[in-house]
Amino acid sequence: MHLSRCTRWFIAILAIVCLAGVFGWYKFFREVPQPAFANEGERFKYGSIGAENTRGIPYWIWLVLPRVFPDLMPGPGGYKSFGVVWEPGQQIPVGFSMKTIGFPRIANNCAICHVGTWRANGSDLPHVVIGSPAHTSNLQSMLRFLTNCAADPRFNADTLLAQIERETKLSVVDRLIYRFALIPLTRSALNKESTQLAWMNRPDWPDWGKGRDDPMNLTKYFMTSMPVDNTTGQADFPSVWNLKIRKGDGLFLNWSCDTPAVRSVLIDSALGLGAAPDPTVPLDTLNWKFVRRAWFIVRMAELDDYLSALAPPSYPFPVDAALAARGGAVYAQACASCHQPGQGRTSRLIPIDEIGTDRNRLDTWNQAAADQANEKVKEIGIIRPNMVKQQGYQSPPLDGLWMRGPYLHNGSVPSLRDLLKPVADRTKVFYRGYDVYDPADVGFTTAGVDAAREGWKEDTAVRGNGNQGHTYGTELPDQDKEALLEYMKTL
Amino acid sequence: MSAQTQASDRSNYRFGWACWIAAIVIVVAAIWAIARFTSDAPVTYAGNEDHFKYGSTGGERSSGIPYSIWMALPELFPQYLPGKGLQSLGFLYEPGKDLPIGVSKRRVMGMDRVFLNCAVCHAGSVRDTPASAPRFIVGMPSNTVDLQGFQRFLSAVALDKDFTGDRIAPVIKKMGTDDWLNRELIRYVGVDLMRDQLITLWRMFSFMDNEPVFGPGRFDTFNPPKVLLNFRMDDLPEEEWIGVCNFPSIWHQRLREGMELHWDGNNTSVDERNRSAAFGTGALPPTLDRPSIHRTEDWLLDAAPPAYPYPVDATLASKGKPVYAEHCARCHGASGTDFTGELVGKVTPIDVIKTDRHRLDSYSFALCVNQGQLYAAYPSERFQHFRKTNGYANQPLDGVWLRAPYLHNGSVPNLWSLLEPSSMRPASFFRGYDVYDPRNVGFVATVGKEGQKAFFAYDTTLPGNGNFGHEGPAYGTDLPEDSKQALIEYLKTF
Repeated sequence: MHLSRCTRWFIAILAIVCLAGVFGWYKFFREVPQPAFANEGERFKYGSIGAENTRGIPYWIWLVLPRVFPDLMPGPGGYKSFGVVWEPGQQIPVGFSMKTIGFPRIANNCAICHVGTWRANGSDLPHVVIGSPAHTSNLQSMLRFLTNCAADPRFNADTLLAQIERETKLSVVDRLIYRFALIPLTRSALNKESTQLAWMNRPDWPDWGKGRDDPMNLTKYFMTSMPVDNTTGQADFPSVWNLKIRKGDGLFLNWSCDTPAVRSVLIDSALGLGAAPDPTVPLDTLNWKFVRRAWFIVRMAELDDYLSALAPPSYPFPVDAALAARGGAVYAQACASCHQPGQGRTSRLIPIDEIGTDRNRLDTWNQAAADQANEKVKEIGIIRPNMVKQQGYQSPPLDGLWMRGPYLHNGSVPSLRDLLKPVADRTKVFYRGYDVYDPADVGFTTAGVDAAREGWKEDTAVRGNGNQGHTYGTELPDQDKEALLEYMKTL
Repeated sequence: MSAQTQASDRSNYRFGWACWIAAIVIVVAAIWAIARFTSDAPVTYAGNEDHFKYGSTGGERSSGIPYSIWMALPELFPQYLPGKGLQSLGFLYEPGKDLPIGVSKRRVMGMDRVFLNCAVCHAGSVRDTPASAPRFIVGMPSNTVDLQGFQRFLSAVALDKDFTGDRIAPVIKKMGTDDWLNRELIRYVGVDLMRDQLITLWRMFSFMDNEPVFGPGRFDTFNPPKVLLNFRMDDLPEEEWIGVCNFPSIWHQRLREGMELHWDGNNTSVDERNRSAAFGTGALPPTLDRPSIHRTEDWLLDAAPPAYPYPVDATLASKGKPVYAEHCARCHGASGTDFTGELVGKVTPIDVIKTDRHRLDSYSFALCVNQGQLYAAYPSERFQHFRKTNGYANQPLDGVWLRAPYLHNGSVPNLWSLLEPSSMRPASFFRGYDVYDPRNVGFVATVGKEGQKAFFAYDTTLPGNGNFGHEGPAYGTDLPEDSKQALIEYLKTF
């Protein structure tokens, strides 16, 4: 067969382009499924929710950042110094997932905000509780660290590769890829994220601290194109176990009843972490999008099933059963109508004027933002009940309450004992994020040398941190309060 | 053909030849250069024991000191050594060897480099009397080497303005340890690179200034990994500052698999523990010499201590056996070779053992979880077994006679003192002397000086050096004297 010179050139070029394409796919887009997890709990802690595509930091870069920039960290201890939960023997902390998409990448999953720990005393090892608020994790300080790294002149190929090559021997090709692609691209992505987070770094702006983020502002500024406004809404991570009791007509989730369905919260939270069912990577615009969207929807359904059935942790210390029984009667009278699943006002809106708690979190969200967010999700092709705007706070069920301190939506009250005190008597400044438990006051230890060292100082005088409101039960006689406290340990 | 053309042809012909010769020279030079500068070959040894003493862990690849510089330093900087040569820091030199036990050599990029290996901390010396020749015993805790002293020697050299290529090159020439090319490389590049590394190390290891002086036979094990991970050492909580402890013996590793290893029992995997220790020999995950270290690991599985070489009163020892069985066996094993026992290789809580807690506290939970990232590029080797404990691990007592001074921090000079309540144990004594004391079972700890060599005065009142704990009825310190005698006699048979 005789091919013209032109045809031969064409074939040669085509072959080269194909090879380059295969090479590029292999090095940048080849998806390797994560290894199987022993159970759904492990998968919750370390499994991907699909955020590695857009938000995945190359593993080797992620690994060495604390070693290259120790001066930008809150203290010694690598990523542990951000208070994240980290189980001994694990390569990455809880709430992180590692997945190879061309190269190993690190992203976060639900567990970064929804796995917590407790200890009976400081010399114990932490007990890990899945679904618990991640009350020790300082996400804001981790975000600031990552973006500060990118802004630092030391974030360059020479410095990072020198550290990386103390851990692994990169091939010549991979070294070039890191030098000319991954390191500059990661820096650009983090710098871009830094501009998206500028609102939280305004001078004299309230910090999230440990166990909190600013959920609706994050949604507003990342998911919608709403302009940056003057609101601040730092709020506790909620517990996410036992979601089945949070489902039903007319029941709401999120602190200010912003979402009417569990599935919507799961989807929106996953999207917030960078889950990319509709990736912006151009190569994915073929039918991959549908594959990935289908995977995402299935994953959300699996998470829904797992978290719906996940039992809240039972109180690990002794309970005085007789006292608790008396407290049950107090609870039935004073609390059940708003907090007992199935009762008329549980998981529903309590108007702000009635509840009287700090209204900053409420004011971060508005109908325009809700509309935009709903539109955005619809564009991706996901159908879910719409977010709304309401004028109050949700009255949640109290399952696993002992593990949910500090209390109120902004974590402004250190313990249940404090919550039963009149506002004027509640603790004004305390340390949160120290995981040693205090069975006497029912909550985590929030005072003392160790709490001050490991915890984060919450000042209730700061905007958004107000500890007022929810004065229910504060007038009860002391013995009723004691009984009620004992009963609440059993929830 | 004109003369001109002929001349041109001849010229072309000569030019062609010249090209060929030049090409051949270039190719030969390139082959020679490639062979020389890509070389990576350790000095190897036929015998396993020699391999242990002098074999490479791969540490020279990244941390290696040019052999010629190593040899020249004691000559050039004697003012930073306590006596003549590295011997004065307790390094053990076998007859006919130019490098001490625990130092390996590898040719990297055409230059012989040396660095430490396992044996520097795990081989020791015993003399029967001050007049006898030393016997070097592998696998025992190094009782003479002052590793901190060595590190401080290197730092002092690095900071000295006279540590220059121009001063070192002539010494190398005189010693004849390297060829012209290496000598000039060292002169113009090598010394500067080494100074860079040493000054970095000096800064990184300045945390040790918070600790009592280690002296011979001890080092801080779990603050260096924090340095490796670039933890901000200035901000370490104060209770983590002091981590100094005795070198352990490393015989009978097969029987130790699964036990809680290290003084605080923070790892149950022998393999992982070995790779962790290999960081101390400069071997990083990409530079670890796996075949070489596997050979050492395999050999250590069944390596055994030498028998007690002095007379043992068999009758007395047989009386000590039931005392041991009653008071010691549950935690320390049935005998020196049978490590069965309910609590052997398990951690005794600090509130029970009550020994000095500094070493325990220096190992933090934060370090423990971060160690899960080490060896991540080599999934089958990644560290998965580090745990934070709350006490010290009960160790089998194989070769216990060679493991003095006792307790994790080496705060009790001999077995006799260990069986005394802490109030009766010596508040200070000398370490680093290798003459044996068969009466008390341990090394002679009352001699401060032999000839020019001064020994290290150990002060038990310093933080981290406490000699308390491991005492009371459960630990045999209030046994009648004859039972103690019998027990000690029996322990000689381990």
